[in-house]
Amino acid sequence: MATKKTMTLNLTDAEMRVLNDLCEKKDISKTAVLRQALRIYQLIESRVEKGDKLFFEDEKTKDKAEVMML
Amino acid sequence: MTITVSPIFLYNVVRGEQEAAELWDGITDKQLADWEGEWVPELFKAVQKLHRAGVERGRWPQSRHWNWRTKTETLQGMLAHPGFSIVCNGMTQGMMIVDTTTKRCRIGEQKGKNLVYVEFVENAPWNRPDLAQSPHYRGIGSVLVRAAIALSIDEEFKGRIGLHALPQANSFYANTCGMSDLGIDPDYQNLRYFEMTPEQAEAFIAKGNQP
Repeated sequence: MATKKTMTLNLTDAEMRVLNDLCEKKDISKTAVLRQALRIYQLIESRVEKGDKLFFEDEKTKDKAEVMML
Repeated sequence: MTITVSPIFLYNVVRGEQEAAELWDGITDKQLADWEGEWVPELFKAVQKLHRAGVERGRWPQSRHWNWRTKTETLQGMLAHPGFSIVCNGMTQGMMIVDTTTKRCRIGEQKGKNLVYVEFVENAPWNRPDLAQSPHYRGIGSVLVRAAIALSIDEEFKGRIGLHALPQANSFYANTCGMSDLGIDPDYQNLRYFEMTPEQAEAFIAKGNQP
């Protein structure tokens, strides 16, 4: 596995609360949540840069809602 | 691109013994050159042999359409889609690309949890029992599944992995890897979906390399 570097992160109480909630829900550490977030952010950015659009689809109704990336 | 190379062993079928090999945590120009220069012509010959033997098209290896150069270039640098390869005797023997981000578990007890999803995995044609009369190396699929499990553990997914199997590989994932068979997925080319729980991952790792 690749070597890892340590960094300090400054978060507000609200951000920290969300991070803690995600850790609990996903049963993973804060580091793992933030690494996942980075992967998703990079993936979405690269697709949007290519001109792709991001949608959420309701599994039952198949209704689609576009997520506007600014 | 920095590649970490880990020592592994493959079973050399011809010599009847283990042979030192390498697991690379990436797919580089070397792998793509091996694929274009060695895999593709070999696969072409194997398909030609099947055609001449009157084997119906539906039973030809479905991975014959895969273009590893396009796949690799599309996903190059994407943290969500790491690649792996196995090199033995100077030649690429297997390749895999996974998705660590967008897929979720389907088995009831772990439904919705993150997993490492194996998007593409392929053995060199001369190692495939369905294409070569006497495969050169065995153990490539197992090493790559172990690499996916190790990545899942590193991502804190506890060894959970999932994949859609090409028909030729169904038995390998069910019996050799001990993954749960969740049946045909009508939303994914009617391929069977397999998933591994942390307990199954642990059991598979404990089994070790078996020729």
